[in-house]
Amino acid sequence: MIDDSPLVLLIEDEPQMRRFLRVSLHSQGYHLVEAESGQDGLAQAATRKPDVILLDLGLPDMDGLEVTEKLREWTTTPIIVISAREQERDKVRALDAGADDYLTKPFGVDELLARIRVSLRHVSNQELSQEDPVFRVGKLMVDFGKRQVFLDETEIHLTPIEYRLLAMLIRHADKVVTHTQLLKEIWGPRQANQVHYLRVYMGQLRQKLEADPARPVYFINEPGVGYRFRSDQ
Amino acid sequence: MQKSRDGRNIQVDRKQEQRERIMVCIGANPRSIRLIQTAKQLANDLDAEWIAVTVEAPAKVSPSRQDLLQLANHIHLAENLGAETVTLPGHSVSQELLSYARSRNITRMIIGKPTHARWKDRVFGSVLDEVVRGSGDIDVNVVSGDDSASASPSVQHFVEHKPRLWRNWVLSVGSVVVFSAVAALMHPHFTLVDLAMVYLLGIVWTASRLSWGPTLLTTLLSVATFNFLFIPPLYTFTVEDIRYVVTFAVMFVVAIVISRLNWRVREQANRALQREHRTAALYHLSRELAHAEDSKTLCSVAIQHLNDIFSCQSEILIPDTSGDLIPSLAQEAVTTIPAPNAMKIAQWSFVNGQKAGFGTEVFPESETLYLPLIAAGKPVGVVELSSSSSTDVFGAEQVHILESFANQTAMALERAFLAKEAQQAQLQIEKEILRNTLLSSVSHDLRTPLAAITGAGTTLLQNTDLLTAENQSELLQTIVEESAHLNRIIRNVLDMTRLESGGLKMTREWQSIEEIVGAVTNRMAEQFLTHPLGINLPHDLPLIPCDELLIEQVMRNLLENATKHTPAGTEISLSAQAIKENLQVTIADNGPGIPESDHERIFEKFVRGNQANGGVGLGLAICREIISIHGGRIWVDTHFDGGSSFSFTLPLAPMPPIERDQEEYLLDTTSRYMEVDR
Repeated sequence: MIDDSPLVLLIEDEPQMRRFLRVSLHSQGYHLVEAESGQDGLAQAATRKPDVILLDLGLPDMDGLEVTEKLREWTTTPIIVISAREQERDKVRALDAGADDYLTKPFGVDELLARIRVSLRHVSNQELSQEDPVFRVGKLMVDFGKRQVFLDETEIHLTPIEYRLLAMLIRHADKVVTHTQLLKEIWGPRQANQVHYLRVYMGQLRQKLEADPARPVYFINEPGVGYRFRSDQ
Repeated sequence: MQKSRDGRNIQVDRKQEQRERIMVCIGANPRSIRLIQTAKQLANDLDAEWIAVTVEAPAKVSPSRQDLLQLANHIHLAENLGAETVTLPGHSVSQELLSYARSRNITRMIIGKPTHARWKDRVFGSVLDEVVRGSGDIDVNVVSGDDSASASPSVQHFVEHKPRLWRNWVLSVGSVVVFSAVAALMHPHFTLVDLAMVYLLGIVWTASRLSWGPTLLTTLLSVATFNFLFIPPLYTFTVEDIRYVVTFAVMFVVAIVISRLNWRVREQANRALQREHRTAALYHLSRELAHAEDSKTLCSVAIQHLNDIFSCQSEILIPDTSGDLIPSLAQEAVTTIPAPNAMKIAQWSFVNGQKAGFGTEVFPESETLYLPLIAAGKPVGVVELSSSSSTDVFGAEQVHILESFANQTAMALERAFLAKEAQQAQLQIEKEILRNTLLSSVSHDLRTPLAAITGAGTTLLQNTDLLTAENQSELLQTIVEESAHLNRIIRNVLDMTRLESGGLKMTREWQSIEEIVGAVTNRMAEQFLTHPLGINLPHDLPLIPCDELLIEQVMRNLLENATKHTPAGTEISLSAQAIKENLQVTIADNGPGIPESDHERIFEKFVRGNQANGGVGLGLAICREIISIHGGRIWVDTHFDGGSSFSFTLPLAPMPPIERDQEEYLLDTTSRYMEVDR
């Protein structure tokens, strides 16, 4: 039976987590493949070709970072890492190594489903290679073709760097982008650890585009990790 | 009961009675080495105790620097071989040796054969002869020395200890004049004998006040003057009566004897005074050391004393946690002890528990003396001494006193170290107590939400058919909420534990308060439904260096407290401003407020608010820890309309410059897009 609902590969060693994920993903119509260890996960990824991979960072046999790196050697399948609260650094390193997003335990199922949805959306966008030249969410409109930004019909002047920041975040809409990724892309690899640059410019963006910069609607700060542009309200 | 050799009644037990006791007399002369070895051999053979004795007899000769070194070496050697070493002051070597031998019940004395010329014996007396004659029932072994070493000691000569002053000579001449005048006055009424007495008086007076040179001059002048002025034939230097020659001879002898006697006594007095000073210094040192509490103070006290008493530059090296020696003071003073392999020598001294460096057998080429500090048989450090004047040398007695100082210091250091250990043990105990309190508090607080979850869960499982959809939803809601509650408690407890044990790694980066506020409010959106939040942040707030996650936690704790400890509908406000060198953030509410008396208490661990909302009571304590490791302050005030206002500060720092790109209207793709920001 051909079933085109997405296949999720779950690489998670704890049975309770697997049980909860299995139940909730099934109920949403996803097919599930489970692996209990990093090695098993890599093997399953190669043979079953999942659409999304959920990877727990606290695996017994391999470092989650290593699994990510190995996967990224040959596949662009979206990877969502699941980490515990103390593993901030591991999370960021996995993201910099190519993981697409993260979840911190304990997390609710809605967050999980949102992440999976976003990952799959990006994949399908790329496959269709249809990047809409005009991006619209709420009161914000960005015309990539004309390089113009409008907030509620009023044009907003952005400096080149602010524009590029905005563009990159929108390109990864709803996915987290790490500080390192942003700095490397916009300022170059030399400035990869000049976080204050980023903060200053993000502050400027918020001033210009957010109604209340302290309660941002679009530009969500993920402490310790990076930023996320929120488009699904 | 037996009488000891010097007549005192002492109890001698049988074993001791049969044991021999050996005393060897050593000096600077290199043959002492052979003497010491012989004594050691003898002591071994006879299973006897042995004592190495040296007499400081300024009457004989004044030791040169070389001699002092040599003597120190010998004493050291004797000690190493197991002797008790004693330095005796005194003016007569033989007498001192004999009386000491008697007082210690010596059975056998070992003394070296004389190497100097015979005539010296005749003039100055032979120590050997005197000892042998006075030894009574003590056996005396006379041992030949090692002649291969330089047999003749370095040049010995009478060295005047006081520099000859002009004044003294003038005084001596003056005294002759004065006494001559007196004699002249007396001349008509008294006999020549009486006048001779007057001159004698003058000589005695001079001898008691001045050194032998001027005394000799006085004597000569007195005799000459006496002869000239009063002995017939008058006003000539000849004498008619031969008997006057005897008088002159007597005057000479008297002068010499008194002069020498006087000199000896003065020397003795000086030395006794010096020794007394040193003992007093030792006493003062031990008193001050007793007051010093930590090892750093101890070392500086000891160094101060050492520098003062011995006119030197000293430093104390104590081992750090990895066992390497480090200077206790580590100031510029170290430049006076710049030897390249100083550390090596110090290390050797420390490890082997022996003195090294200048004047010792180990690394004698060094200019610095290293003494190990040993307490309870274990080395606790090394003291480094270099004398300020290069001609000054640490004589044997000085080294002994230095060692006493070193012992005192070592004991004090040991005491300080033990005190610190005791303190740490106490801290451990306190940590244990805290941990136990934590465990009991936590287990109680965790059980409540767990009970709710278990209850709801089991109800759902068992009574599925009996429950309405609404009931089920309610129970499920409970499970979710209580789980969040549990999460919060566990998070707090874990954080507190990590903060206390120092396991929390703080990463400081430039952060924007605006962003941190954004992150927190994003996560707590639901709670602000019942407690409206007003945010007031200036647009130009500077970035501050801090740990993003930790400060986020502080804000979250404060905001959560505000929502949990105030009734629904209470307004909460969050504001920030830069004040002088700090960034101050204030979270205020217009709720019931906190009584003034509790303003300090609430930041303590395990203190909850009035309505025990199930928190463990750690939230504010964690906030305070976090803020304090950032170098800031946190406190609570009463808001003007009765509520509470929590504020914390974080120190600002100048931000590195960034290249700003210019505001530019963006051109469309057909135009060239200039990158102006590089």
